[in-house]
Amino acid sequence: MMKMRSLVLTGLSSVLSAIVVGNAYIQKKQFYPSVVYITKSNSSMAVLYLQAFVFVVLMGKLCRKIFFGQLRAAEMEHLIERSWYAVTETCLAFTVFRDDFSPRFVALFTLLLFLKCFHWLAEDRVDYMERSPIISWLFHIRAISLITVLFLLDMLFINHAYYSTLLKGASVQLVFGFEYAILLTVVFMTLTKYILHCIDIQSNNNWENKAVYLLYSELVTGCIKVLLYTAFMIIMIKVHTFPLFAIRPMYLAVRGFKKALHDVIMSRRAIYNMNQYYPDATEEDLQSTDRVCIICREDMIRDSKKLPCNHIFHTSCLRSWFQRQQTCPTCRMDILHVPRQQPAAQQPPQQVQQQPQPPNIQNMFPGFPGMQMWPPAPPVPPPMAQQQQGGTQPGTSLPDGTSGAAARTSAATTTTSTSPTTAPLTGTAPAIGVPYMGPGVAIPPMPQMFMPTYPMNMMNSFPSPPTNMAGMSDEELHEMEGVERQNVEARIQWLRDIQSLLDGAMLLISQYNTVAANMSMPGITTETLSTSERAQTSTGVPMPRTSPPQEGAWSKGGARSKVSNPQDKNIRKAQSASSLYSDRNESKTDLTELEGAAGYTSPNEEMIPAWNDPNDEEHSDEMDEVRKRRLQHFSSSSSLSSLSKQDDENINTQSGFQN
Amino acid sequence: MAGSALKRLMAEYKQLTMNPPEGIIAGPVNEENFFEWEALIMGPEGTCFEGGVFPARLTFPPDYPLSPPKMKFTCELFHPNIYPDGRVCISILHAPGDDPMGYETSAERWSPVQSVEKILLSVVSMLAEPNDESAANVDAAKTWREDRSKFNEVAERTVRKTLGL
Repeated sequence: MMKMRSLVLTGLSSVLSAIVVGNAYIQKKQFYPSVVYITKSNSSMAVLYLQAFVFVVLMGKLCRKIFFGQLRAAEMEHLIERSWYAVTETCLAFTVFRDDFSPRFVALFTLLLFLKCFHWLAEDRVDYMERSPIISWLFHIRAISLITVLFLLDMLFINHAYYSTLLKGASVQLVFGFEYAILLTVVFMTLTKYILHCIDIQSNNNWENKAVYLLYSELVTGCIKVLLYTAFMIIMIKVHTFPLFAIRPMYLAVRGFKKALHDVIMSRRAIYNMNQYYPDATEEDLQSTDRVCIICREDMIRDSKKLPCNHIFHTSCLRSWFQRQQTCPTCRMDILHVPRQQPAAQQPPQQVQQQPQPPNIQNMFPGFPGMQMWPPAPPVPPPMAQQQQGGTQPGTSLPDGTSGAAARTSAATTTTSTSPTTAPLTGTAPAIGVPYMGPGVAIPPMPQMFMPTYPMNMMNSFPSPPTNMAGMSDEELHEMEGVERQNVEARIQWLRDIQSLLDGAMLLISQYNTVAANMSMPGITTETLSTSERAQTSTGVPMPRTSPPQEGAWSKGGARSKVSNPQDKNIRKAQSASSLYSDRNESKTDLTELEGAAGYTSPNEEMIPAWNDPNDEEHSDEMDEVRKRRLQHFSSSSSLSSLSKQDDENINTQSGFQN
Repeated sequence: MAGSALKRLMAEYKQLTMNPPEGIIAGPVNEENFFEWEALIMGPEGTCFEGGVFPARLTFPPDYPLSPPKMKFTCELFHPNIYPDGRVCISILHAPGDDPMGYETSAERWSPVQSVEKILLSVVSMLAEPNDESAANVDAAKTWREDRSKFNEVAERTVRKTLGL
């Protein structure tokens, strides 16, 4: 139908022009007079202009056939939509330059319009490369030749505009110059895309950095476009008048540039976050899943990343997704805001942990049952999971969201209150842990095998220092981090000391108990001995078990020392602090477990009078000495439990001698 | 090797042809362009759309699966969640940024985890249970809510029309 109409139109216009020309020739008989006749007659000129227009359209169609072949429906739609805007803008431009309105001028604008159309089509075509599974040689030849032709034409027109402006001063050529300069950037962008796509097609596996290159090239061309338009605006306002026709493309250029900039920033942030917070998926991680990246549905052989919610994706897939949205594609856990909001806003820790799991997610993704959920918390934590619980424990034990400062002061009070426990006030030692460990605290254990050594979730559990870090620059943060790290280092050292002291205190308690039992019931020495040994070993055990996590956390912190993240400190703090708490907790539970065991009674006030044995005098002196020696051990030695055991045996034999 | 969007679409096409879900047929309109799909959806059994076969067209963006495809029924369909021009309005087809109705939580929005199959299954369940809370076709929603027998009648008529009766 469309074809029929255009055919009829073409035929009609050729017939008309033939009539006009024939008429003139018949009237004037000679070439020159007939030309003069035609140019003098407006109606004949109109017919001839129409004919010229038809010729141009036909030429355009021919070029299109040569360079593009059949246009796809989407391309056609795109083209028509854009050309309407272009035609309107050209008409607006005519109003500005109505003084030098001439056929030549119209012809130049028409040519510009056609070239614009070809640029758009070239862009669309090159974009199509990414979508089609079959790219023929013809396509490559066409694309390359088209890009070359467009480039040459653009250069030619820019050159022409430049020299005519130099020679004749500012004229309409200014507009053409700028228009072709803009088109040149389009050509460059198209060429870049074409090259990138070609490289991508040539390489056998996915070229991951392609998206990044595309982003940056878009940013650069966007920037150039915006600069060109701004310059054009300024010059036009100075020379002619406000260029109304350039408003829309300029707005589009600015918007495109803004988007490109935003994309680049988001992409950079995503890459930064991924490198910073999320570990590469290990072989075991991959084996525990079906090895398919759910974003691109391909096998994960290339490098992949594991999110804090344990979902694994390709690094490149994740990056392009994070550019749009900072959530886990599978469970929609807010990725960026888990670590990022923390320094700025002091949220109650539990809220953040639970918020990202929508209730219906498990139904939606049956392939991942419970992986993103916390398993229901058992009432008594298994001792093996202690390391993992370390971070979350403070969160639950300080549910009111007290700041890190408060935690610090609490640690400080522990120091002051624990130091007396090294003195013979044995009965109070277990009680210290109680205020921090509520009796009914249920600890949500992390899924053990998935729990990374890199506890993202735990960041929630410890509130951050109160300063608003969002407003600080990277340098300031680095600087602060330097100081903070030393502080944290010192704090951890303190906490270790406190821990050693506490352990010492616990040993003392058990020993005193043993001694007391021996004193009060001199008959059953052997049995009390064995129980006391049992008590010692059970209290001694926490030491070697809890110190490795600290060590681990610390060395990990050291390895990542370049990383500037206040949360890391929180983790370390949390881990060390919680290992302290849990330590106490364990020793407490040990004591209660021991209650009722043969010969053992938990230390309390009633037991103390039993020590006032008549022949206790020199014995207690000796104990003092032993205690001093042990304290020295604690402050110096690391292989503590073995030494203290030896010591205890010494004491026991000594007390046996005494008896 | 081609773009990741194309590869993923090819993978999904393969998956859909290997084990197609019941009542759904879908595939590219032609093998040269994997970004335009045609789908045939059978009206779910036990509903007023039972027996009907509804053709639809899926248009995928170049950055699929990061952005959702668009879906449009190419037949007439009187349904609260289908615009009069055939566009389907379900939350799974909306990118988390935009919310035309203001009802949807981000949990039910598009994410790269979704797939053509999931979209089509959601559409089937949408046919079975219209959501008149966020209506795309207000007339249909009103009829559905107030005059169920008339709604069923209209649905039956469209079913018959799609079958060419």
